[in-house]
Amino acid sequence: MNLTIKIGNATFPNPVTVASGTFGHAERYYNLEEVKRLGAIIPKTVTFHPQVGNQPVRIFETPSGMINAIGIENPGIDGFITQKLPALKKIGAPLIISILGHDEEQFVGIVEKLNAQHGIAAIELNLSCPNLKHKVLVAQDPEATTRLVKKMKSLSKFPIIAKLSPNVTDIAEIAQAAQEGGADAVSLINTFTAMAIDIKTRKSRIGNFTGGLSGPAIRPIAVYMVQRVASQVKIPVIGMGGIMTALDALEFLIAGASMVAVGTSNFVNPRAPVDVLEGIEVFMKENKISDIREIIGSLKR
Amino acid sequence: MEKIQNKYKVLVNEKLSPQYWRMVFDAPDLAGEVNPGQFVHIRTDDQGLQPFFRRPFSVYRAQKYVEIFYDAIGPGTRLLSLKKKGDIIDVLGPLGTPFALPPASTKQVVLIAGGIGIAPMLILSDVLKKKKYDLVLLFGGRDRGHVYPMKEFKDNGVKVHIATDDGSVGIKGRVSVLFDKINKDPSSTFIYTCGPNPMMKAVQVFAVQHHIPGQAACEEIMACALGACLGCSIETKHGFKTVCYDGPAFDLDEVKFH
Repeated sequence: MNLTIKIGNATFPNPVTVASGTFGHAERYYNLEEVKRLGAIIPKTVTFHPQVGNQPVRIFETPSGMINAIGIENPGIDGFITQKLPALKKIGAPLIISILGHDEEQFVGIVEKLNAQHGIAAIELNLSCPNLKHKVLVAQDPEATTRLVKKMKSLSKFPIIAKLSPNVTDIAEIAQAAQEGGADAVSLINTFTAMAIDIKTRKSRIGNFTGGLSGPAIRPIAVYMVQRVASQVKIPVIGMGGIMTALDALEFLIAGASMVAVGTSNFVNPRAPVDVLEGIEVFMKENKISDIREIIGSLKR
Repeated sequence: MEKIQNKYKVLVNEKLSPQYWRMVFDAPDLAGEVNPGQFVHIRTDDQGLQPFFRRPFSVYRAQKYVEIFYDAIGPGTRLLSLKKKGDIIDVLGPLGTPFALPPASTKQVVLIAGGIGIAPMLILSDVLKKKKYDLVLLFGGRDRGHVYPMKEFKDNGVKVHIATDDGSVGIKGRVSVLFDKINKDPSSTFIYTCGPNPMMKAVQVFAVQHHIPGQAACEEIMACALGACLGCSIETKHGFKTVCYDGPAFDLDEVKFH
């Protein structure tokens, strides 16, 4: 069975990865023999400077999902390289490093520092975090998306993936803008801007006032957006949004995703990414499918 | 990833008081690993959709079996209360940073718990009773229905003092009315506390005033409980810390209670 996927010059052993911000401390808690089988690991987004994150409360449980506003708490690119990267490399799965700059200069600074590293498969540009004080996200502006992706492509020695926001009128337009800038792939979707209110205090449940909705609650919208984008761009799509099981992941693959990321469900079932991978393998065996590419984009009209 | 995620059989799930429940599950491997202050994260709905998150519970006792003590107050704990003997539950654990042990000079150890905050104190007394401390429990509850039968604590040689808001058991008032039982010698007294934040704040104010060291077990809404999502962060003197990974046990003077 062939499950390998190529993005730019990087090859991934299979299409299953974990979404940024949903996976950590594998060395303490997980069976690394299982984790290293994953197609890739995408650690939490790293910024140029360290960030302490948003004021609690940071999460709220919703029907079949959650709202979060963590605020990209992270040790900054230098801290990431010295404190986090060595343990991540040890796992043995390909690494896609998710990065976020608050301006172009910071994006440049991060990419330059990552260029000096080995053992990285690709870089994902987080253009779509809804929980920072940006008025407009890069991923809400097609021209800004093209410009930033083009700049990163000209600098990075690793393939560039643009992570897109669903908080737009037409996500395919932004995906095309990323493709025009030379992106090797797009990943979608990030969370939907959302809110929950405590009726007793009449205040937001979230310290940051608003947050991002994720989990199975958003899955059908994510499947639609992945299908729409995959039908309009030539570059690979990494699909995500509420994937809990292999059956969910197969929907995304059939819709046109070349890879899938397990995100929020890591919080409910830490074994979910491995379950998804094994479930896809079982599905291929049962249906006598020898190459994952027979599934990708096989949606019938 | 079987390192921390396992399925266990429910042996007992019973109501202990009008308010509180006790669940015992067959987990000898987990029982051997868990330390006082650590917790387990339980999937109360097998599909994991409603409620969506797991629910964290302090380990209440870990001898041959693992016991938790809970209040069937929300959608997750109500589902948990419906589990029957023989049912299988999906458990992550042991998780978190356990309580630090008292320094060598300690003579009196005071456990101060409010309501369901009693949960980590029994396993702590199971460990501390071997050290010949003067063990004291100060317990505050709303009313008779929120007072837990204290037999196991007494069996561990703990001197139990109770205060209730309505005076139906023990002294009337908040747990702070029992602070006169605390030996105010900072070099020989050590405090452990767990309960609502306003109560732990009162304990912290008292402890800081008398320079008495201690530890607090904190609570916050959790998603992953593995230190990955950073959702359960609280404010401390040293910045934001996750309750699930850096805690639940923190130095008493470190936490900024709101």
